[in-house]
Amino acid sequence: MIELRGIKKVYQMGSQSLEALRGVSLKLVKGEFVSIMGPSGSGKSTLMNIIGCLDTPTAGEYELDGDNVAGLSFDQLAAVRNRKIGFVFQNFNLLPYATAWENVELPLLFNGKSSRKRKERVTELLNAVGLYDWRAHRPSELSGGQQQRIALARALANDPPILLADEPTGNLDSKSGEEIMDVLTVLWKEGRTIVMVTHNDHISARSQRIIRLFDGQILL
Amino acid sequence: MNLTLPRFFWSEFRKRRKKASLITFALFWGTLSILLLMAFGQGMSQQSRISFSGLGETLIMITGGQASLAFEGLPKGRAIRLYREDIAYLRERIPEILRIVPESYNNWQVSAGGKEVNRGVHGTTADFAVMRTQVPQMGGRFLNPDDVAQGRKIAFLGWNVARDLFGTADPVGKQIIINRIPFTVIGILQKKLQDSMYQGPDADQIYVPFSSFLMIDNQPYLDRIHIQPREAGQSMLIEERVRVLLGRKYRFNSKDRYALGIWNTIEDSKEGLAIFKGIEIFLGIIGALTLLIGAVGVTNLMYAVAKERTKEIGIKLAIGARRRVIVQQFILETLFIFSKGTFWGFITAFNLVHLIRLAPVNYDSFGIEAYLLRPVFSLQIFLAYFVVLGLLVFLSGIFPAWRASRSNPIESLRYE
Repeated sequence: MIELRGIKKVYQMGSQSLEALRGVSLKLVKGEFVSIMGPSGSGKSTLMNIIGCLDTPTAGEYELDGDNVAGLSFDQLAAVRNRKIGFVFQNFNLLPYATAWENVELPLLFNGKSSRKRKERVTELLNAVGLYDWRAHRPSELSGGQQQRIALARALANDPPILLADEPTGNLDSKSGEEIMDVLTVLWKEGRTIVMVTHNDHISARSQRIIRLFDGQILL
Repeated sequence: MNLTLPRFFWSEFRKRRKKASLITFALFWGTLSILLLMAFGQGMSQQSRISFSGLGETLIMITGGQASLAFEGLPKGRAIRLYREDIAYLRERIPEILRIVPESYNNWQVSAGGKEVNRGVHGTTADFAVMRTQVPQMGGRFLNPDDVAQGRKIAFLGWNVARDLFGTADPVGKQIIINRIPFTVIGILQKKLQDSMYQGPDADQIYVPFSSFLMIDNQPYLDRIHIQPREAGQSMLIEERVRVLLGRKYRFNSKDRYALGIWNTIEDSKEGLAIFKGIEIFLGIIGALTLLIGAVGVTNLMYAVAKERTKEIGIKLAIGARRRVIVQQFILETLFIFSKGTFWGFITAFNLVHLIRLAPVNYDSFGIEAYLLRPVFSLQIFLAYFVVLGLLVFLSGIFPAWRASRSNPIESLRYE
């Protein structure tokens, strides 16, 4: 489902260049639950962003569902992010002025779903994460755990086959973290491919496979 | 047409309307200030022009003088006077003259209904009205050729004379006594701005037919000859011919600048026009600088607000918004804010200008209110302002969003 070959990412910082990924190759099959681990600066978030089509590699090839991602236009990548990939970020990345309902509705809106379909789907998702009664609240009125559940509902809006989670429990207390992990586990069991970045061994233990990164390379 | 996205844009805009209202107010204030500044500037320039033309726009006025050069054995210092027959003499010899009228003048006691004033009385002909901007008030008229031909005892009054003799009553048809001779009032001068004159403002003068004037004061000479050229460009030529012809007739050197007094308003108006042009250019520069200051303020605000939303753009891109959607949203928001601010600025300035114009102006004095209370609203200036500021606001409002929408979403997401 996901195949990366010799992926390199170089950041240009003024006159200096920083190599974040140095030829990463990996393959993820459909329905796999993978954790990416490594110390800070090892390149795990960069790898996650490239898998999620949020960033483009400097060199290497990336195939997603048989398509070469490098050959896709900006808007085609946007469509891939909208329909095939759901994101859960450490700091939630919810729109601060929008309500819980509106935040979950947004990917459906960008996917051109009708008003009726949006309403049905948002209701279903908010019920699934147990926050339907909080639908009119803004993120600032919700706890961290609630915000991450809204972010999870948003990630699932277009029913994507891949879910990417970047330190999904990093900003949560242990109870809320466990709740989020429970939801992710259920989603994996339902057949979704899950890629999660974490440096918590306890959290990564929930996944099937752990990929360890160090200095931009996969430790074998 | 699918209105889902515009509805979504509108709902997002409403949530941020407090921030937007600051920009809207800045645009409103900028529009109002610039439009008012330019309206007052234009008004002042226009009033100056009107006031300048109060005497008469294309006019050469000739008076007698004193020879300052010896000529053909004659000494300098001789008085040169103009005579009645000079009118026909000049008309016959200078074909470039369109109109030529005589004017004789004296100060007399003038009375009506028990009130008595001392005023300047001028004897002239019908063409004087066109040449010297003598427009009668409703219900009256100026002298006509028959009045002059038949030596009618009629008088045309300046509005101050009418007020002094008759108060608020209508003087037309009533009698006044000029130097013990009864005259019937046929018209009152309409109020006008006048910044140049020779024997006081026209508001204080009385005009009678030239033939009737001679019945009171049978002087052989004229105080003044007024000439209107067929074309304004011929004024210098006529001036020179007058000097040559009258120089030959009265034996003075045509190069003698003091032998005749010649007031050429056409030449003056060239200077005047240059001054008005100068005022307008000066105001234009002030307007442009004000626009620049306003534009810097508004565009800075616009840029800061748009830049602040970089992360929001990153979030939207991450969850699948197309580049077009992001840019569209910013275009619509900027369009709305800009239109709202400038619309209210335009409406307020337009109404203020017209409200100020309702204030009465005192034509009896040369008070500053005549210049300040007649601002002129210019749609052209508004359109120029709208285009220039619109362009700057659009660039500043859309550029950050456009740039953010073209970069990798992750770069926008990292923006704090």
